[in-house]
Amino acid sequence: MTDTSGLLDPELDAMAEREAIAPAPTMWQTVRHEVFHRPATRIALAVVVIFVLVAAFAPWIAPYDPLQQSFLAINQTPNAAHWLGTDQFGRDVLSRLIHGSRNSLIFGLLSPVFAAVIGTTLGVSAGYFGGVVDRVVSRVIDMLMAFPELLLAILVAAALGGSFWNIVIVLTVAFTPGFARVARASTLAVKQEPYVEAAMAAGVRTPVIIARHVVPNILAPIVVLMTLWSASSIRIEATLSFLGIGTQPPNPSWGNIIRDGLNNMFATQWPILSGGLAITVVVLSISLIGDAVRDVLDPEAG
Amino acid sequence: MGGPLLEVRDLTVAFGPRDMPLRVVDGVSFALDRGETVGLVGESGSGKSMTALSVMRLVPEPPARIGGEIRLDGRDILGLPLREMPAIRGRDVGMIFQEPMSSLNPVMTIGDQIGEAISLHGRMTPAARRARVIELLTLVGMPDPEARIRAYPDQFSGGMRQRVMAAIAMACNPSLLIADEPTTALDVTIQAQVLELMTDIRERFNSAILLITHDLGVVAEICDRVIVMYSGRIVEEAPVEALFDAPRHPYTRGLLKSVPSFSETRERLYQIAGSVPPAGTIREGCPFRARCPLRMPRCAVEMPPMAAHGPGHRAACWATAEEAAA
Amino acid sequence: MARYLLYRLLDAIPTVFLVLSFVFVAMRILPGDPALAALGPQTDPAQLALFRERMGLNDPLWLQYLKFLWDAVRFDFGVSFLSNQPVSSLIARNLPHTIYLTLTSVVIGLALGIPFGVYAATRRNRPADSALRLYSLLGYAIPDFYLAAILLIVFALNLGWFPILGAGTGFWDGLHHIILPALTLALLKSAFLGRLTRTSVLEVLGRDYVRTARAKGAREGRVIYRHALRNALLPLSTGIGISILATLSGSVAVELVFNRPGIGRLLIDAISERDYPVIQAGVLMFAFFVIFVNLAMEVVYVLIDPRIRMAS
Repeated sequence: MTDTSGLLDPELDAMAEREAIAPAPTMWQTVRHEVFHRPATRIALAVVVIFVLVAAFAPWIAPYDPLQQSFLAINQTPNAAHWLGTDQFGRDVLSRLIHGSRNSLIFGLLSPVFAAVIGTTLGVSAGYFGGVVDRVVSRVIDMLMAFPELLLAILVAAALGGSFWNIVIVLTVAFTPGFARVARASTLAVKQEPYVEAAMAAGVRTPVIIARHVVPNILAPIVVLMTLWSASSIRIEATLSFLGIGTQPPNPSWGNIIRDGLNNMFATQWPILSGGLAITVVVLSISLIGDAVRDVLDPEAG
Repeated sequence: MGGPLLEVRDLTVAFGPRDMPLRVVDGVSFALDRGETVGLVGESGSGKSMTALSVMRLVPEPPARIGGEIRLDGRDILGLPLREMPAIRGRDVGMIFQEPMSSLNPVMTIGDQIGEAISLHGRMTPAARRARVIELLTLVGMPDPEARIRAYPDQFSGGMRQRVMAAIAMACNPSLLIADEPTTALDVTIQAQVLELMTDIRERFNSAILLITHDLGVVAEICDRVIVMYSGRIVEEAPVEALFDAPRHPYTRGLLKSVPSFSETRERLYQIAGSVPPAGTIREGCPFRARCPLRMPRCAVEMPPMAAHGPGHRAACWATAEEAAA
Repeated sequence: MARYLLYRLLDAIPTVFLVLSFVFVAMRILPGDPALAALGPQTDPAQLALFRERMGLNDPLWLQYLKFLWDAVRFDFGVSFLSNQPVSSLIARNLPHTIYLTLTSVVIGLALGIPFGVYAATRRNRPADSALRLYSLLGYAIPDFYLAAILLIVFALNLGWFPILGAGTGFWDGLHHIILPALTLALLKSAFLGRLTRTSVLEVLGRDYVRTARAKGAREGRVIYRHALRNALLPLSTGIGISILATLSGSVAVELVFNRPGIGRLLIDAISERDYPVIQAGVLMFAFFVIFVNLAMEVVYVLIDPRIRMAS
């Protein structure tokens, strides 16, 4: 009653039957399918490109100076001169939105990149070296992971106050533990691979092993996380600015446009509606792209 | 009632697009009498599990499309609306699955899980149900059943869990018991106990057993008849002795040669060359031809029909059919 | 089981300690001179010196740290710079509002999200499933304060169905005031929980024991609610914990939009006024809340899963 020489493998029975149904597509097919065959992803891609262009060329695109006040033109509803109307200081809402996009873009790019670099370094060290390093790093990760990113950001912003670099620090701190956890887990897995063990046995120096074997193999989940978190980053920056602990007025940010709008909501609701719509559309688009990137690079995580 | 207990005629389970379907079960026909034990043998992907699940209609439809005819006690199972299946499952047909480790709900006590199988098919007072659960546990040879009914599956070994599975399957004295690889995940000694339990069940309740397995040793031990499947099709069907004495399909011969035996010493086990094509991928001719030592040109174009080789003995092979005719 | 819980409780102590230390470092060292920050740059130097002396800012750092820990343990956070009231009484007045809002939103969010998720899981790739996907994507993308503002503008400002500001007095008035804020958070919550429920239930529906339940003759409703959902609750309870904490951070913005009293609002107001004792206490309250919810989730986990219960 012993199993017969691997010829018959009942455990694979169901699996083989399932595989017979759907042959695995190639990587390129997946990319093409995910990005181009889903209309939602195509639209999202277009939105993000427009958003980046608008942010990059804001001074040339914006019809007015976003800080220019005009007491002759306060609380206007949308009209030919001010497409989205004006706020309580007579500032052009559209111009403020366009300039506000720069904040979102910068934070959406900077913080995830910083967090990825720091978090990956911590995670790889913890996973690769183990021992005390691992225990300390894991402990801190666990503690920080207990806090939702937004709450962590609020708490750090509360303690530090809101200047440009403080917000970058705040968001970086909020995102680092996630990267560290993923990097640590992936490193632990990669470390077991024969090629890493072989390199160790052959006496290849540790930095070389890490740079050549470990990092390239854990890159996919890190990139996925970066994409998804640039969406979070934009949303959290907006929230902090809304709470008054992010980008400080009079500089426009999508969050503080809504904050100002709320104080003036009896007069005009356009700043709130358009500011919020901008955040929602951009965050939605980036997370749709993030989903597509994840499906391509890291299908198991889906 | 006359006629066989279970009659499967031209069963087809297909997936994928309608114009290019993948038939994981393709034209399978067989019958089972009351009190009979039949082994359904085949490799991974041969469609044997799909065949069994079709009888319970546990194959998800869609995506699967099931064709043909399945009659249980004369009743047309495939013709029934799906909502009527729960009344049949568990009451007329009991099923034991391959993986005792994962087939029991980890957050319910085993007493509740067996009790559920009873109360789904008949009203009973809690005390009567409890008594029945203990009776079933005793029947399947569970030591100290009174204490065990409050235990969770994680507190049992694989063999004990398979006994619990058997208790669930037998809860309503079904006329048909389907056992899908019931012993595969178990140690050899436990395997023997579970097989003994199944023989015991059959003798006590005169249930028919459809035993799905890849293990010809198990078949030899408890089956009356064997059905061999390959790539979604039945390639040979015979009484156990006939099959072991004179297999008529080259695939069955290969299978028998690859069973380790104590009576002869061989340097290494025989292995059929090549690998199984996933069920349904071969659309024309005999699916075994690529690995077949007896293949001839005809095999590539035409699927051989079942040819009779003796009482209850049929095989689908051009080469052996010619042998028989000659 | 009791030992397991005790162990988890002890395990939380280093976290509490680390949080306290972080707050101390952030408050005392990073932003420069607290006295200057508290009283403003135009303050008379003599007054600054007096303030430093009174707040113990002239003590060596280690002594300040020990005092800080001791005060935190006794829930003594000093007196608010702004209102001159003990911080503990400010907290006591605001905390119930935040807890009420959080609990109401979590209950509504669960009541909306779980059935939606189960429904979508059983109708995979059909319209209900796509609707849930869209709903969860929107729920992720819409900032809570924006949704709050939209609900406020539509239902309070324009339709006038609900009051615009405050928390109200008495039960019914309070209920009337809490509906929009709670709905804001609950909608976002249900989007997240709906998606999570769908994923968890789908995963569980593929398990062998679900097939066993069907093979016994259980009908779909019973298979889903009695077998699948109970097992899906295990991964789900972690998600519910995350979502309670997200509600907590969301409550900060929602309290601001609806001008409700609460810890979030207290903290934000304190930040803008540089009211350090209140900031410190607010930060600690949130941190303790996080630790508490995580602990509570551990307990729930143990209660749901007999395997953990048996192992401990």
